[in-house]
Amino acid sequence: MAVETLSYPGVQETLYREVMPSGLEVFVLPKEGFQKTYATFSTKYGSVDNRFGVEGHPLVRVPDGIAHFLEHKMFEEPTGDIFATFSKQGASANAYTSFDRTVYLFSATEQIPANLETLIDFVQHPYFTDENVNKEKGIIEQEIQMYQDNPDWRVYFGLFDAMYHSHPIHIDIAGTVESIYQIDKETLYRCYETFYHPTNMILFVVGGVDAKEVFELVRNNQARKSFPSQGRIIRSFDPEPSSVKESRWVLNLPVSLPKCMFGLKETKVGFAGEALQKREAITRIMLDIVFGASSPLYQSLYDEGLISDSFSHEYNASPEYAFSVIGGETKDPDALLGKVREAVDKLLVSGISEEAFERSRRKKIGGYLRMLNSPEAIAGEFTRYRFRGGDLFSQLQHYEQVTLGEVNERLREHFDWNQLAVSIVESKAEQSS
Amino acid sequence: MSSTKFERGQVNRIRLHVLPTKRFKTFAISLYAGIPLEEKQVTATALLPFVLRRGTSRTPETIALRERLDNLYGAGFGFDVFKRGNNQFIQFRMDVINDAFVKTDESLLAASLRYMGEVVTEPALENGHFLTKYVQAESETLRKRLESIINDKIRYAAERCVEVMCEGDPYRLHALGNRADLPGITAESLYERYHQWMNEAVFDLYVAGDTTFEEVRSLVEESFKLPSGDTGAYKAASVRAEAGELKTVVEKMEVKQGKLNLGLRTGIAYADDDYPALLVYNGVLGAYPHSKLFLNVREKASLAYYASSRLDGHKGMMTIQSGIEIDKYEKAVAIIREQLADIEAGQISELEIDQTKAMLLNHVREMQDSAYEMIGYDFNAVFSGSTRSGEALIEQVKGVTIDDIVRVAKGIQLDTIYFLRDRKEA
Repeated sequence: MAVETLSYPGVQETLYREVMPSGLEVFVLPKEGFQKTYATFSTKYGSVDNRFGVEGHPLVRVPDGIAHFLEHKMFEEPTGDIFATFSKQGASANAYTSFDRTVYLFSATEQIPANLETLIDFVQHPYFTDENVNKEKGIIEQEIQMYQDNPDWRVYFGLFDAMYHSHPIHIDIAGTVESIYQIDKETLYRCYETFYHPTNMILFVVGGVDAKEVFELVRNNQARKSFPSQGRIIRSFDPEPSSVKESRWVLNLPVSLPKCMFGLKETKVGFAGEALQKREAITRIMLDIVFGASSPLYQSLYDEGLISDSFSHEYNASPEYAFSVIGGETKDPDALLGKVREAVDKLLVSGISEEAFERSRRKKIGGYLRMLNSPEAIAGEFTRYRFRGGDLFSQLQHYEQVTLGEVNERLREHFDWNQLAVSIVESKAEQSS
Repeated sequence: MSSTKFERGQVNRIRLHVLPTKRFKTFAISLYAGIPLEEKQVTATALLPFVLRRGTSRTPETIALRERLDNLYGAGFGFDVFKRGNNQFIQFRMDVINDAFVKTDESLLAASLRYMGEVVTEPALENGHFLTKYVQAESETLRKRLESIINDKIRYAAERCVEVMCEGDPYRLHALGNRADLPGITAESLYERYHQWMNEAVFDLYVAGDTTFEEVRSLVEESFKLPSGDTGAYKAASVRAEAGELKTVVEKMEVKQGKLNLGLRTGIAYADDDYPALLVYNGVLGAYPHSKLFLNVREKASLAYYASSRLDGHKGMMTIQSGIEIDKYEKAVAIIREQLADIEAGQISELEIDQTKAMLLNHVREMQDSAYEMIGYDFNAVFSGSTRSGEALIEQVKGVTIDDIVRVAKGIQLDTIYFLRDRKEA
């Protein structure tokens, strides 16, 4: 297949794309003047994919945390730890697992061809033994314990737990100490074979590279390997009720002040591609107008000592779920929630002003352009959008095309207080009713 | 390596460093203001940037001031308070997009420098001092910030380890100061401290982006109303080599995982000739996933998820940190000490050295792709009186031998072991 050239004059970037005969989709974004090359090799497979099958075969249910466990185990090869190879080639390598994808990456300034080959080869070569699988359990157990001690992590994921009854987004990405001890090499291979098929993966290379050379290298690399053809992957989720599971979720941990995150679970989901991207753009502008650091609500909450600089807001949306996450540390979660509701209810009546809208839109456009300085952010965000059928580089247009009417409509649609869930982490002594 | 170089000059008390480059879509602005770290002043100095960000004489109200940032296409603005060597630093940063990408009437670089200049040098005042309401609100913010240190157990343990290690040294102080000092700080007393700071701190202002030295100089002249006079200079901290008797501290708290931190003295400072060898030492020991700590504490013994070492070249200190199962404390300490002893005995493979050098060189080269990293590296050199350029560092790292690493290892002494564990009885 030929190389496709995608030009984005608005952001002064040119992207190249080629789909390999194996089905692997490859993107290259040359950045003139950059010393480093940053590459990600990603599979559309994350912690939520815990019940699946390939078309024509029965579904399987796998232990929680297995996608993350698999990510850890990929670094082991019969020749030893792949980190050693990357180090020798001057590359710093890493990986991460999120709800819906697993990403392997390196960043290097030299030996780019060797490092690219290493990245592709180690991810396309699983090596699991009973011994190396068991050894990993102690390490991951400590990773889980580390997060258990982290109140910011607990309050954030506590909110997901409060919102969702059955969708696996409420399950910790790393699983639990109990669930990881159920993992064995057979199940790991099964997950690997399903989700690490080239048709389910994207290679993204950004930095001081020549696109032609990269495509040639990948083409030759893939031609040396054979991949069985695979049917469509079926991901199965139990139906998710529209209501929140618990309106209030509380956990005790020693903290200097309670931490309170709240958000609204949306019932209208199923958006994908450009439609989802547009919805994200509108919602992010809307939330910034209501909760951003220059909003009247933020300043009045700050003046009353109800929030600190840790107060933040975000919007998470995929085809299956969509919700906001708002909050931070506060001396009084109930007072904070009361004030927020009061202010949002007023805004629902008055609507958002043209001036506030334009200011926030500008801010989002600037933030987006600043993000394009970072190869890491580009690769990560591009893949995230792509797996959902969207395009990172068209995000500027979405911000430019949003109208005040759409933002006001989104405001009214999002703030349905029946859909509110609250997550609180506080010390034992401060526990409220 | 690229040939981009900082062009330098002086505007009133400010040392100005400009990096003209077309590589980025933004302008990066960074101001470092350092003043000796002192117990009596540490809290007041820490409070300054919190109050300064609230309002300027031209835009005294916080909402209006923040709207100015939004209108500059969401320019990033932030500050940090930290300690380095014997100094307490306030750093202000701005990140604004290059005008080429948007339709705008005013230069975003000019407006950003005006913004930072106003925030730092023309604060909102009433009756000849800071606004009382801002000083009160920000004292509260700082108090909460100081109290919240305990929430992040990994960071808390790391800071406690340094505190124990630096008993009797100003470096034991937290960069944000002491909670107990806050009630004694008033709008008047803080404004006095501000004046002192404006006259005594050393100011280094960095700008990187598609601009020229001349353009930046004239913008800074217009926007930064600092007193005229000497720029001042930094004095290098003395780097103590002797650790004395090993200090061991165990603290109990509600944690599921034990946090083990070790503090060591290296006797080597950032500007010293042996510093590149110390960097390689640290890489072999614990900076990377190929390092001895990662391999032996994590991969071989499955004791931890993280096990690493970190250098503080400005104080000649090194720290080791790991999160472990609580009853594995003795075992973890033993494995860590074994790694230190192995390096001292020269048990280092060629592969470990090659890997470490390749990683260090890659890191130095990658700095070129980030304006803030280039600025940070240059400022470290300016601050420590080192003349070592990135190119020179690469050459020196390449030349490090096993003998150099062993020599460095012989000078490293374990000073402190700090362990944060659960409340259950041992």
